[in-house]
Amino acid sequence: MGLGPRTLEKLCRAVGRDHVVWDAYDLVIFERDASIAGALPDAIVYPANVEEVAAVLEIAAEQQLPVVPRGAGTGLSGGAVTLRGGLALSLARLRRIIEIDPKRRTALVEPGVVNYDLGLEAARHGLFYAPDPSSQKACTIGGNAAENSGGPHCLYYGVTTNHILGMEVVLSDGSVHWVGGEDPDRPGLDLLGLLVGSEGTLAVTTKLLVKLLPTPEAVSTLMAAFPSIESASKAVSDVIGHGIVPAALEMMDKVTIGAVEAHYKAGYPTSAGAVLLVEVDGLTESARELTAAIEQILETDDAFEIRVAEDPAERELLWAGRKGAIGALGHIKPNYYLHDGVVPRTKLPEVLRDVGRIGEHYRLPVANVFHAGDGNLHPNILFDLREKGIMKKVEKAGEEMLRACIDAGGTLSGEHGIGLEKNAFMPWIFGPDDLAAMQAVKDVLDPSGRLNPGKIFPPAGQIEPKLIARSGVASEARWW
Amino acid sequence: MVTVDGLKPKAVEKPKTVEELAGCLSEASRAGQAVIPIGGGRALGMGDPPARFDLALVTTGLDRIVEVSPEDLTATVQAGVTLEALQAELGKARQFLPLDPFASPGHTIGGLLATAWSGPLRQRYGTPREFLVGLQVALPDGRLARSGGKVVKNVSGYDLNKLHFGALGSLGVITEASFKVFPRPLFEETVEASEPQLTDAWREARRALDLKLPPVALELVREPDRHRLVARFAGSEDGVRRMVRELVWAPVGEADFWQQHSRRRAGRWLRVAVPPEALRDVLQSLPEAASWWAHPGVGVVHWVDFESAQVAAVRAAAEDAGGSAVLLAAPSALKSELGAWGRQPATIDLMRRVKRAFDPAGTLSPGRYLV
Repeated sequence: MGLGPRTLEKLCRAVGRDHVVWDAYDLVIFERDASIAGALPDAIVYPANVEEVAAVLEIAAEQQLPVVPRGAGTGLSGGAVTLRGGLALSLARLRRIIEIDPKRRTALVEPGVVNYDLGLEAARHGLFYAPDPSSQKACTIGGNAAENSGGPHCLYYGVTTNHILGMEVVLSDGSVHWVGGEDPDRPGLDLLGLLVGSEGTLAVTTKLLVKLLPTPEAVSTLMAAFPSIESASKAVSDVIGHGIVPAALEMMDKVTIGAVEAHYKAGYPTSAGAVLLVEVDGLTESARELTAAIEQILETDDAFEIRVAEDPAERELLWAGRKGAIGALGHIKPNYYLHDGVVPRTKLPEVLRDVGRIGEHYRLPVANVFHAGDGNLHPNILFDLREKGIMKKVEKAGEEMLRACIDAGGTLSGEHGIGLEKNAFMPWIFGPDDLAAMQAVKDVLDPSGRLNPGKIFPPAGQIEPKLIARSGVASEARWW
Repeated sequence: MVTVDGLKPKAVEKPKTVEELAGCLSEASRAGQAVIPIGGGRALGMGDPPARFDLALVTTGLDRIVEVSPEDLTATVQAGVTLEALQAELGKARQFLPLDPFASPGHTIGGLLATAWSGPLRQRYGTPREFLVGLQVALPDGRLARSGGKVVKNVSGYDLNKLHFGALGSLGVITEASFKVFPRPLFEETVEASEPQLTDAWREARRALDLKLPPVALELVREPDRHRLVARFAGSEDGVRRMVRELVWAPVGEADFWQQHSRRRAGRWLRVAVPPEALRDVLQSLPEAASWWAHPGVGVVHWVDFESAQVAAVRAAAEDAGGSAVLLAAPSALKSELGAWGRQPATIDLMRRVKRAFDPAGTLSPGRYLV
């Protein structure tokens, strides 16, 4: 389609000629995020501040262009994909940590700040930012807020929405608003809570005020190896059942362990059917006491090897295996499709069995690496995109795995978002009246429906074309 | 007989099922009536006097605990279940909902969510905003809309739970709620300190909050001749004991301090909420003989039994500090004069548009809430 010269000229005037991209070859860079689908924007704009963001949105409103805000593009549900073309609105240039206030334990940041960088800066004040997605070395605070991202330590500390105090946002008409704030019990509707996790479909965030927490006195990390997924799952339930909520409680299956050990040598026994990574933090005494209690539970539940990290380096290594697990899966197959269902914790063993069965049925290797304490599954379907017709199988297997989560009383996504990956499945968990209430909110805040169109809500007609149908072999070849 | 600010409804309905409630609501809405949802009636002093009041929709008939799943740390209840009933059920597995609202007992879950009332434990756990995972709400047109779910982690669809939380039933009537619940702490201890001067009390409060394991609740209570500080610690026994040793406060005077504290209520009641750093100045701006209790780590003070003429200045100070001063209870005339909510939020237009989308006919609690 392409944009007219007048529109491009306006955009250039708003953000500077160097910060508008419309060359067909350059646009390809923004064709996708970390999900399996992609589509080309008509132009990419890189505003530098809230005024420029507002100006871009005003131009988009005037020209009736779709706008898709974008952080680092690490999203796994297609949230940053410009499904209907229009503008990819990159927030990469809004990347200042404006202020860290150690006394109030808050940070005021721009959306393009990388999660990990905020952590480093906060650490200089003895503080940390709790949500820690595995992509935290690349993903941005703005993107985290849009997706309401989680991470291993959200078991104890809560997800992104529990850590954001306020945001400056721009609506699709270009108007700028502050929602939330540092004071508790604010009279009025909680627009902040509504906007966090709205996947860029309601507003563009330009500033965030986030909570920081004091670094705990002690951290204790232990790795436990189990003969099977079943025994490890039972151990997870038993730890929680004993009234212990660790800071993190992660599981990796045999396939993952093999890949991780080949790459990181994190020290996970390759003979194990599953490995648990458990972390507790707090006071020295509490960490010691809880670690001992957890060790005892795990032993009773057939853990055949338990190792408590002796020093920070060993802890780092144990975590490096977990956080790098998905990359390490490249040792098995060049491509992966990562799913994100949630089930009640007690249903983990049966749903994991279903996941295994589905993988076998489609002859696709599946690696499970996930937030067991939350019941938040992450089956990775491994494949080689060069294999003809493989995507159909991968998508079908993924859909069946999600279905298994829903049938067990779970939900479609715990932390990755719905985006365009799962919007067709929304009717599995929400009826027409539920979706109508959500649509009512969308219609209020983005009446023309131009902000990140085609996401979250189920498509009206046919399912949106996924990768294979749309781009053909040429774009597949680019993928890796 | 139920009254709200002295106003009597023309009718009272107490449905036994969610569907029945939705039916009553839509019928009233179609007839152009004004409906006020009522739970335990513990927080009915909130809000401006209603513009109209035709139907009191009492939710206490929805009193079913739908599902408690201790191994999943989740619970789902109907709106009319009292907090005490839910706690009793959760207690069987040594779990609890970390919510200890004032004017207890007798709050219903629906009422607590609609009013966003909470108590001292919010210091550690936050308000239910942070652990509410799912809602079912009856909308004025009779539709039942769910948001969230029953699992502890969920980003499927818009988080409408947050919109309804604290909206005083102005967007819909909460009929069912799901929570993430918590294991009871392994060990607890409550200690106290007493200071004649606010400055000293504030310094002690800071010390407690800066501990490596801060208290799960910290209350600063103004008594006629002193400022009483009470801290509740929870965690592993050794850890809690070390914190208590570091603090060097005395064991608390009353064994049931927290229960007694949660019973506090008043007919003249102002909740001042400011950024925590600004709370000390607000406390200093209260009249010398004022009766109040505060959460120093949260930024909230509850001021009771005030003189009408004293409110405006305190509210102005709170708003200047970037906060609010909301009347939780007051004579209707005073609420009409000063307004229950204070300054309108800057985003009031957006909020009103949301309200119109949910309740176009203005059926729900007209005049009571901000929108």
